[in-house]
Amino acid sequence: MAIDQQKALLFGAAAAVRLLLFTAFPSLPNLLTGRVEISTPVTSFKRLQEGVFLYTHNVSPYDGGLYHQAPLLLPLFSLLPNPAYHPFATNVLYTIVDLLGANALMQIAETGQTVSSRLFTSPRKDLRWSSLAIGASFLFNPFTIATCIARPTSALTNLFVLIAMAKASQGASITFILALSFASYLSMHPILLFPPLLLLCYNMRVTKARTPPNPWAYTLSHVGGLALALVALLYTSALLTGSWEFLAATYGVRLLLPDLTPNVGLWWYFFTEMFDSFREFFLGVFWLHAASYVPGLTIRLRKQPLFVAITLTGIFAVFQPYPSIADATLYLSLVPLLRHLFPLMRYTFLASSAILYTSFLGPAFYYLWIYAGSGNANFFYAITLVWSLGLSIIIGDSLFAALRDELDVERPELRGKEVRRI
Amino acid sequence: MVSFFIFLLLVAVTSAAASSDYSERLLLRPLPQSALLASFNFRSNESSASFEHQNFRYFPRSLGQILQHAHTKELHLRFSLGRWDADSWGQRPWDGTREGGTGVELWAWVDASSEEEAFSRWLTLTNALSGLFCASLNFIDGTKTIRPVMTFHPEGHHHNSSNLHLLHGTLPHEVVCTENLTPFVKLLPCKGKAGISSLLDGHKLFDASWQTMSIDVRPICAGDGSDCALEIEQNVDMVLDMDRSKRPRDNPIPRPAPIEEIACDASKPYNAEDTCYPLDKGEEPDWSLTDVFGKPIRGACPLTNSDGDGSETVCINVPPERSVQVNTKGSYVESKHAEDTMRCYQLPTGDDFDLMLPSQKMTTGLVRSQPPLTAARSINGHGQERGSIQAVITNPSLTEYVEFVYLESLPWFMKPYLHTLRARVSTSTENPVVETYYRPAVDRLRGTHLELLLRIPPVSTLTLTYDFDKAILRYTEYPPDANRGFDVAPAVIRLVSPQSQHSSRGTYLRTTSLLLPLPTPDFSMPYNVIILTSTVMALAFGNVFNLLVRRLVGADEMDAFGPRGIKGKLTGRLQRLMRAFKGKGGKAE
Repeated sequence: MAIDQQKALLFGAAAAVRLLLFTAFPSLPNLLTGRVEISTPVTSFKRLQEGVFLYTHNVSPYDGGLYHQAPLLLPLFSLLPNPAYHPFATNVLYTIVDLLGANALMQIAETGQTVSSRLFTSPRKDLRWSSLAIGASFLFNPFTIATCIARPTSALTNLFVLIAMAKASQGASITFILALSFASYLSMHPILLFPPLLLLCYNMRVTKARTPPNPWAYTLSHVGGLALALVALLYTSALLTGSWEFLAATYGVRLLLPDLTPNVGLWWYFFTEMFDSFREFFLGVFWLHAASYVPGLTIRLRKQPLFVAITLTGIFAVFQPYPSIADATLYLSLVPLLRHLFPLMRYTFLASSAILYTSFLGPAFYYLWIYAGSGNANFFYAITLVWSLGLSIIIGDSLFAALRDELDVERPELRGKEVRRI
Repeated sequence: MVSFFIFLLLVAVTSAAASSDYSERLLLRPLPQSALLASFNFRSNESSASFEHQNFRYFPRSLGQILQHAHTKELHLRFSLGRWDADSWGQRPWDGTREGGTGVELWAWVDASSEEEAFSRWLTLTNALSGLFCASLNFIDGTKTIRPVMTFHPEGHHHNSSNLHLLHGTLPHEVVCTENLTPFVKLLPCKGKAGISSLLDGHKLFDASWQTMSIDVRPICAGDGSDCALEIEQNVDMVLDMDRSKRPRDNPIPRPAPIEEIACDASKPYNAEDTCYPLDKGEEPDWSLTDVFGKPIRGACPLTNSDGDGSETVCINVPPERSVQVNTKGSYVESKHAEDTMRCYQLPTGDDFDLMLPSQKMTTGLVRSQPPLTAARSINGHGQERGSIQAVITNPSLTEYVEFVYLESLPWFMKPYLHTLRARVSTSTENPVVETYYRPAVDRLRGTHLELLLRIPPVSTLTLTYDFDKAILRYTEYPPDANRGFDVAPAVIRLVSPQSQHSSRGTYLRTTSLLLPLPTPDFSMPYNVIILTSTVMALAFGNVFNLLVRRLVGADEMDAFGPRGIKGKLTGRLQRLMRAFKGKGGKAE
């Protein structure tokens, strides 16, 4: 079929670009791995290599302050040849991860759940891009390529989040639960995607099945399934490392932020400058703030659960403790699914110029602070503020557009008219 | 050839006297480029029985009670400054066993039943010693304490070594100065009033190119392990620059001598009368104890033996042809050892004693013994984000392999990547790393502890490198001079083979300390950061919250809803008031 040929061509081109970059610039992966915008203390590939080194030399990687990633990554990466000498296997692995992610993203696009779901159909449902275009926008996004070359483990998290979304929008309960539990196991925060995705999965189930399942039983079985999968993963990890100390070193670090290495988020400089007596209080406030979006969005936009899930990935890209552009790339590659909302968005120019502005000035200001010494920490901090602001404008704007879209269905007479919030 | 052997012979003093006694010895040895090594050694014993009963004779009571309180069986404390220049000065005094890294270094064997108890006793010890020596030893906390595995071995004889815990701490940032010397001298029985300790003056000691003060307490027992004594050994070793020391204190700035007094090299062409290439006279400079130390020795300490082994308190290690004049009113005894290269003196009691060496043209010199290993360590890379450590260790021996332990104790905010550790030997491709012991750092709890057993072939250089990341700290964790950087403790190297022939204590050397610059936040604006970050979060949250809780209506329907909320009511009233006011104004017109 023509579509399959095009898809093969797209994937082949994307893989070729990645492998070409890996082989033509052998120092590029290590250069990008060192960039704070891509690698955070909880996802860095260099730290992963250190963890694998300690693991293979029978030193517990969690009895130290360097390795904060999930234990199951250790045996996986210790099976691969040492990337310092034979990087090819690792490169292929990360390329495949990107391709699988694109595949999942195209599956989401094919279900069309963003424009028409069980309870809601957008009046602009014909305005959408083909799945190929969406896959291409993911695969050829420079942020995605940079993430792939830098090899942080957040690429794996992104893959599992995309698979969970794809499986939920196909109504495949078991694979959805498994993918989401893997994503949560790797990065903790994707567990907050469970309520909207569960709703999405339930909707699909109701559409497909002749007899709709009891919603309570359905919820309970899925919560139980997720808990079971997570407990199994954690228990396997404990068996693997011999103790439960990995919990404090992985999830504890995300919760308490002991490592203040700069990143593109809002937390690091805030907690560098925070007074010691208020540190715990503000850690609680920040986490509460990040989690508070889940119930609000899920309840208000219960008719469009996939839109809620997409918006939440954007919120995580701004408000999680160790965000990187890998998290932003997940959100930015999901935004094209909302093509039908673009005409209703008001600040597209402002948001896209803020993102572009920070993408170019961020590395420059970081250089001025760390290497040239002609700027101070405030330079990079200011850029991270603008970056967060730019992303949150897209989030807020798309939310407005989604609500406006719903309004057009409720009150068709207001189509094209100016609206106010009351 | 005149041998330097005797200098090392003196180092290997073996005394196992169980009775309480006291001895002191000063060894002077001129080094190249008008440097002078002065090694002070003070040693006293106390039998275990009287120590247990707090019956102190020569052993300092203040230190003894601290050791008893902290259950410390063996103690080594070092205060050091400067760098030993092995290229021109040769082998280190005492084979490096009595010196420490820059700053303060402390290690001790503490008697405790568990690791936690050992650590709490260690904290007791550091806090007490901090008070005794006016040093910041109380800042040796968990992040600066390690438990070395291969580098240190007890020097004393311990009966039940299973309960002994070795703890090691360093303070590389500590500046050693007079306030540390005064309590050090107070521990001596003669307290700097008589004997060689009367030469110890802060002005000269801390003006030295290199100096180290050490205190070592260890139990020594007779062969059958019954007749035990506690020995305290205090050392001060320093390398003085004689030209610098001889400058008068009221005129310390060096000025060129008048041109008439300088012998010029006549073989060179001159273009003016006032230029001169000084002629190297090839003479040993003249010096005396009074010139170099600012004062003569104030007689013998009366507590030392007046005859026998420990009676010769001042020794000078010079070639036999060098003339040495003694200036004293009292009676002294001179004796020569080791083919006349070592001249030792019994000091007069109660009278000043001075040694004077006139300038002299020499035909023979002393043979400098070569160090078995030389080491240098540095930080590579630029920027405040990451870097790498490079240690270059050279084995100069033509025939022998050298095996040694390399110990690093790094602060927690320097995060090494062990998988990047590379050890290369210049002459062979075999891996020089024999054994590795590694304990990674935990943020704010403990530092990195790395011990490597390495082996270098003859005439080779080993290059050890590893990468590290620099952490950014909370703004309250930076010192006031944050942009100066943080000190990293010197690496300690212990030779495993070949064994030192001179003493059973082993051979040690230390690299210099390193300065590690960390990225700094802006210290002036915690409030601004809190406000700006909160503003961005409030913008995002406010926008989303506003959209979620409010309803959308058409702009033309707004009036139908009427004024709402406090703001709406207020503007409504204001508009009514304005209308009323305008109406009145209209009437008046």
